[in-house]
Amino acid sequence: MIPLGYILGFSALLFGLGLYGALTRRNAIRMVMSIELMLNAVNVNFLAFSRYLNPGDPRGSIWAIFVMTVAAAEVALGLAIILMLSRRQDDIDVDKVHSLQG
Amino acid sequence: MATSLLPLLPQLLLVLFALAVLLYDLGNEDRPGLGSLAMLGPLAALLGLGIVAGHPGEYWGRMLKVDSFSLFFQLLTYAGTFLVILLSRDYVERQPIHRGEFYTLILLAGVGMSVMASSAELLMIYVGLELMSLSSYALVGMIKRQDQSIEAALKYYLMGAVTSAILLFGISLLFGITGTTYLPDIASALALTKDIQGNLLLIAAVVFVLAGFGFKVSLVPLHMWTPDVYQGAPTPITAFLAVGSKAAAFAGFIRLLATGLPAAVSLWQPLLALVAVVTMTYGNMTALAQTNMKRMMGYSSIAQAGYILTGLVVFTPDSLAATLYYLLAYLFMNIGVFACLIWVANQQESEEIAAFRGLGQRAPFYAVSLAIFFLSLVGIPPTGGFMGKFYLFFAAVQSHYVWLAVVMVINSVISLAYYYGVVRQMWLEPCLPAAPGAAAGGTSRWSMPAARASTSTPPAAASSTPEKAQSWPEPTKPASLALGVAVVISLLLVLLLGLYPQPFFEWVGKAALLG
Repeated sequence: MIPLGYILGFSALLFGLGLYGALTRRNAIRMVMSIELMLNAVNVNFLAFSRYLNPGDPRGSIWAIFVMTVAAAEVALGLAIILMLSRRQDDIDVDKVHSLQG
Repeated sequence: MATSLLPLLPQLLLVLFALAVLLYDLGNEDRPGLGSLAMLGPLAALLGLGIVAGHPGEYWGRMLKVDSFSLFFQLLTYAGTFLVILLSRDYVERQPIHRGEFYTLILLAGVGMSVMASSAELLMIYVGLELMSLSSYALVGMIKRQDQSIEAALKYYLMGAVTSAILLFGISLLFGITGTTYLPDIASALALTKDIQGNLLLIAAVVFVLAGFGFKVSLVPLHMWTPDVYQGAPTPITAFLAVGSKAAAFAGFIRLLATGLPAAVSLWQPLLALVAVVTMTYGNMTALAQTNMKRMMGYSSIAQAGYILTGLVVFTPDSLAATLYYLLAYLFMNIGVFACLIWVANQQESEEIAAFRGLGQRAPFYAVSLAIFFLSLVGIPPTGGFMGKFYLFFAAVQSHYVWLAVVMVINSVISLAYYYGVVRQMWLEPCLPAAPGAAAGGTSRWSMPAARASTSTPPAAASSTPEKAQSWPEPTKPASLALGVAVVISLLLVLLLGLYPQPFFEWVGKAALLG
């Protein structure tokens, strides 16, 4: 079996990659994609911990199902907001959205 | 009784009314009594809460917890939801907002908040948090014809989604360390851990989880969204975020720290102490420079989050009780401020501080009420804010956090300056017939381009023509009774909490035991 440390390293990498993307990308859709990467890292964590530390305990899988469900709702809402934005300004670059400042 | 639906009664009633509002609104533009139907939701939930109060315990495989803590925060949530709908009644008539969806989402956000407060299982807290957050993201962007509203929704959504992923990562690490996400079990697992200070995984988990909640209550490194969202959102939703969202997030926060992580207190206490000081100082300093009332209230709410956090830092039963007391007073003083703000914005078609000029002569009732709410926010007797701050201060001094109490007092003095700026506008500035276009100071909210206004024809935008700007604009509709009622309720409770705190204090003292 793959050692748990490798899987945790993978999920940490995935999470870091997503966080880096979410903080540096300026295209709103790409930011949402990066956030999805972060949530997938969370799911990998839950499943790995569940499988390696408490085999037979379904709690980690239940968490993963909940996270996926909520993530789907979150993405649907995010895309709706981005769609509203693209109708207003033909561009979804978040740097061009700056009427609120002070 | 273990599997009956009874303990969920308040939340179920709220969901029921949310669906009823949505169905009643279907397919028809002009439904009479839609707002009243929505207002019945939180009232019914309060009644349900009265029934549930007689059945404390844990239900649904320990997913749902009915105790005095959850009852307190549910009461706060339903009262807040009721008052926010009261504030919205006038607002949705004047703005291009679809009423049915608006009320439904407010009620559903209320369900999320009450779920957050009534569980000791992180899964339920997370689901409640997301129900509240997703509804709020949509509510912030509800004025679809306004760039500011959409921008605020986008910023809130992107930052909120990132921090909720960070929160989840922290929870997954906690799950890995302790093998559970039920907070009392986490606490007992951590109590057996030897080296709390040196456990890097635990430090990362605690920091990530704190970040997730810190975002919702707008603590400083994660406060960036607050001013923008407060300014861009529909004003009743700004009030909702300030009171409901913040109270619910603090409920989750307190439950997490007091029930789940008391063993790791040496990890989070110094961190949160630093964050509290920076948060209140930053919020107050930045609020000094604001010219937009909603933006100023955004920074003020950052500062208030810092005050409330001191109660968690001190972490004694007394200080937690003080935190709850302050949250209770904070609900009513903030709703009061926003009710006055909506009233003034209806009259002046501007949300700048300059719009409050001469309010003392034009509308003494609203001016005096607003002044009292400000006194309460600063913490001057005889108001609820004073008693809340006094209890916080007292609890801090008792546990040798004198320096934190001193920082709090210095900050209250600073905050006096910007609240006084508004009060000065109301009484000391002459009642000039300023053009609303000039007073709006370039915000696109009230001075929309004519082309856009003609397509949308909201009453507020249509009336901001140059001819009308010469004199005091007449209100487009008669002043709303609902706003006056909201101000009176808030005023009575702020004064009651300030003059007669004993019964309330006993109540929050019981709730703060988290039993």
